[in-house]
Amino acid sequence: MIADGAEDEEKWLAAGAAAFKQNAFYMQRAIDSNNLKDALKYSAQMLGELRTSKLSPHKYYDLYMRAFDELRKLEIFFMEETRRGCSVIELYELVQHAGNILPRLYLLCTAGSVYIKTKEAPAKDILKDLVEMCRGIQHPLRGLFLRSYLAQVSRDKLPDIGSEYEGDADTVTDAVEFVLLNFTEMNKLWVRMQHQVSHDLCCIACESLPFDDPELRLAVGLSGLQGPAREKERRERERSELRDLVGKNLHVLSQLEGVDLDMYRDTVLPRVLEQIVNCRDEIAQIYLVDCIIQVFPDEYHLQTLDVLLGACPQLQPSIDIMTVLSRLMERLSSYAALNVEVLPYFLQVEAFSKLNNAIGKVIEAQEDMPILSAVTLYSSLLKFTLHVHPDRLDYADQVLGSCIKQLSGKGKIDDSRATKEIVTLLSAPLEKYNDVVTALKLTNYPLVMEYLDNETKRIMATVIIRSIMKNNTLIATAEKVEALLELIGGLINDPDESQGVEVDEDDFEEGQNSVARLIHMLYNDDPEEMFKIISILKNHFLTGGPKRLKFTVPPLVVSALKLIRRLPVEGDNPFGKEASVSATKIFQFLNQAIKLGQIPLVLNQLCYSLRFLSLSVGAFCLLQIIEALPNVPSPDLAFRLYLQCAEAANKCDEEPIAYEFFTQAYILYEEEISDSKAQVTALQLIIGTLQRMHVFGVENRDTLTHKAMGYSSKLLKKPDQCRAVYGCSHLFWLEDHEAIQDGERVLLCLKRALKIANSAQQMISTAQGSSTVSVTLFIEMLNKYLYFYEKGIPQITVESVESLIKLIKNEEPMASDPSAESFFASTLRFMEFQKQKGGAIGDRYEEIKV
Amino acid sequence: MPSRRRTLLKVIILGDSGVGKTSLMNQYVNKKFSNQYKATIGADFLTKEVQFEDRLFTLQIWDTAGQERFQSLGVAFYRGADCCVLVYDVNSMKSFDNLNNWREEFLIQASPSDPENFPFVLIGNKVDVDGGNSRVVSEKKAKAWCASKGNIPYFETSAKEGTNVEEAFQCIAKNALKSGEEEELYLPDTIDVGTSSQQRSSGCEC
Ligand SMILES: Nc1nc2c(ncn2[C@@H]2O[C@H](COP(=O)(O)OP(=O)(O)O)[C@@H](O)[C@H]2O)c(=O)[nH]1
Ligand SMILES: [Mg+2]
Repeated sequence: MIADGAEDEEKWLAAGAAAFKQNAFYMQRAIDSNNLKDALKYSAQMLGELRTSKLSPHKYYDLYMRAFDELRKLEIFFMEETRRGCSVIELYELVQHAGNILPRLYLLCTAGSVYIKTKEAPAKDILKDLVEMCRGIQHPLRGLFLRSYLAQVSRDKLPDIGSEYEGDADTVTDAVEFVLLNFTEMNKLWVRMQHQVSHDLCCIACESLPFDDPELRLAVGLSGLQGPAREKERRERERSELRDLVGKNLHVLSQLEGVDLDMYRDTVLPRVLEQIVNCRDEIAQIYLVDCIIQVFPDEYHLQTLDVLLGACPQLQPSIDIMTVLSRLMERLSSYAALNVEVLPYFLQVEAFSKLNNAIGKVIEAQEDMPILSAVTLYSSLLKFTLHVHPDRLDYADQVLGSCIKQLSGKGKIDDSRATKEIVTLLSAPLEKYNDVVTALKLTNYPLVMEYLDNETKRIMATVIIRSIMKNNTLIATAEKVEALLELIGGLINDPDESQGVEVDEDDFEEGQNSVARLIHMLYNDDPEEMFKIISILKNHFLTGGPKRLKFTVPPLVVSALKLIRRLPVEGDNPFGKEASVSATKIFQFLNQAIKLGQIPLVLNQLCYSLRFLSLSVGAFCLLQIIEALPNVPSPDLAFRLYLQCAEAANKCDEEPIAYEFFTQAYILYEEEISDSKAQVTALQLIIGTLQRMHVFGVENRDTLTHKAMGYSSKLLKKPDQCRAVYGCSHLFWLEDHEAIQDGERVLLCLKRALKIANSAQQMISTAQGSSTVSVTLFIEMLNKYLYFYEKGIPQITVESVESLIKLIKNEEPMASDPSAESFFASTLRFMEFQKQKGGAIGDRYEEIKV
Repeated sequence: MPSRRRTLLKVIILGDSGVGKTSLMNQYVNKKFSNQYKATIGADFLTKEVQFEDRLFTLQIWDTAGQERFQSLGVAFYRGADCCVLVYDVNSMKSFDNLNNWREEFLIQASPSDPENFPFVLIGNKVDVDGGNSRVVSEKKAKAWCASKGNIPYFETSAKEGTNVEEAFQCIAKNALKSGEEEELYLPDTIDVGTSSQQRSSGCEC
């Protein structure tokens, strides 16, 4: 029995190594003095150390390597001996006098190697002799190492094509036969280890009892039952350590020049597979099939796919064939990816359908195959077909279809690793095509998603959106948008919510933001189609509840507004008034969208719904701003949105709609904007926007202007009032609109502002404060007067200008306020400048007497 | 003791899987190259006779798997190496980045008597690929690495076209020969050997 403790084992190894070195020393001394007899004696004693049963494979390998190195010296010595006239045949006989069989066979292999080199006998005969003689060792560990020694020393002496050992009598067939035989024997030894009770059992076997004897098998099996599970575990670990010794033979075969496709298909593969199938050992099967796949070239696999795949169902039902098949497909995929020229062969041999069938059969054969395995298989198959047949979408769809068949009837997948694998599976087409549009063509794609739990659906939706964003994929038709929305439904309308399952707040926001960004990629130049897209989006978003709307509606509004800007002016609308998309329709939509947010407002979440409006304003500028916006006080921004919309409506000559937006903005101004500073800014916006509106008829315009005037005079601070009021003067005089040129009211407005400035001054003087503010106000007023005076408005007379200048000059604090002084100076300079210009304007300024 | 003639030089080739270790060995020993990828299992060696300063040596070149999956028995074969060849693929940064690991792993496992001066040779393989256009590791970078590790000789090769392979192995052989690694000297304490092993081996005659 192998010592249990690693410590003991170290001791045994050290002892073995010491005895080993001693003998090696004497062997070397014998070699140095050309003493063949002693060299053989000591080498045999040295090799005797390999008869130990006390070492684990790792340690045994250590000892074996020492022997291996020493035997190289002996081999060179043998070679020299033959050059000195010693007959190699005699040598070959001589080594067989060693007492123990293991040292004898090591020496025989070494002499055999020299024998082949001398070419005094056909290589194949010597090889055959050696491989047969090695049967003498039935102890698995020792046998495996002995045979691996044989494999190594014969490695460069095989009668391969092009080798110096090839000849009339020696062909590559002999080489292959030799390696196959050695492989078969090694595999038998290796498999037997599993059933071996103790290492001493070998002795029974060594007495040349055929192990195929059923009784012996039974005996071994029975006593195996007594061994504890630990024993089995250890045995399997040891076997696993030894596996490369067996696999090495396949490597040797793959390196043979003469193992061409024919030889591989006709001899090597069937024979190797036969051994693998018949040994009925799981560890051997899984490892060796993997070896075949890895050591032989891809083109061989491609041409022998049916044979290899045909063997799969014959393997032990419990083995992890999935990993093996996955690796095969991975190898073939990268082969196809790296060598475009081989693609026709894939088609020629119908690789896809063969793999598809094989997988189907494997899954069928293993009734209770875990869902993870099945999904992994299909995932590899999908990757394979995407690489090899990128143009065959039907293949990809077929794989998804087969996958669904496996999933169906089992409800949602609850194995998290299987779920992950599905995500991998579904991500593969996106990665391959870099284009979600192609994936949308896969009819089974959304069906696979059905089997995901809600969280994974969300993950998948994020993956899809990320792919779209990364590749800048434009989704251009309503139909595709519809399909896409189905796919990313996890983010649009999440049943988890209604079921009260908690979703991480950050994840939620991230998800919704990604949906918001996605909207930008849904675009069509054709307004008709674009409008359809927007409507579809709206319908889907409506199902997502208010919590989502605040993320999704803003970019949608942006899209809608953009669409309006692209519309031709109503009269030239190629669709005519009857066209399905018109500004009116879009505005209706916009209003609806805004109202949508108003419902929860009414229903008690006032600020909440307004936030989405604020976002959409930001989107006007740039999408990035959206992220920063939620921190900004909302009513203020909602207010801006209304004005923006009004301006867009103006552009489209939609008076009632523009009026409606304005009204909404006014309501917000009245109800929500209470901060005095915010009011000032808001009012500036109102006045500025209103000034640019040309859509309004007299009545509407009057109402709105009137209100604006009212707001202006109600501002908290006098200076603000004054400025707002004189600002309103612009509402009555539009340069290019003769309909809106009312000098009377301009004057009225300015006078009113002047009055306010006056009262501001009085208030300040009574409060003993500085009156520089009012001086500045007067100078500002002067500038306004000059503006309208220059325009030639008759009501603004030269006298009124002059008296204003006088008033300012008389103001006390002028001298004490440098900024007011310089403001005034620059105003005067401006007047001088205009005068110098000459012409009509020059003449006007000429009249003013400063 | 008669002075021992060193005629066998042991060389270990290490590097990530796929960099061309097997191809380099095959090109050097058999003058053959195959485009097909065939994984190596375990450790494998080929030998080649080399003439050096009028003497004949046998170069024993050990090719390795590079994938742990196919190196199940460990690396006992490192012992007694006279030179270690590190290979990377000039078109793969990862294979270059892993050189440190390979070097360290070798020094730990082979535990040469003088690790500071143990001879390494670095090979940057596959210089032919895409006319050098897909190259990602510059010669300068590789040479800087070699300099930092005590002036390791560096060769850029193509196992496919045979470029520089002969030169690289000439240098490998030269360094292996110069290597200070003498076989461990052993002096027996007793003349009588041959009985002790019986206790440690099984009772049977095999
Ligand atoms: N173009 C090119 N391909 C090479 C070169 N060396 C190796 N290869 C290829 O790279 C792959 C891996 O080579 P291999 O020698 O098996 O790498 P190993 O895993 O390090 O032994 C094979 O397909 C070789 O054909 C080279 O110098 N140039
Ligand atoms: Mg290799």
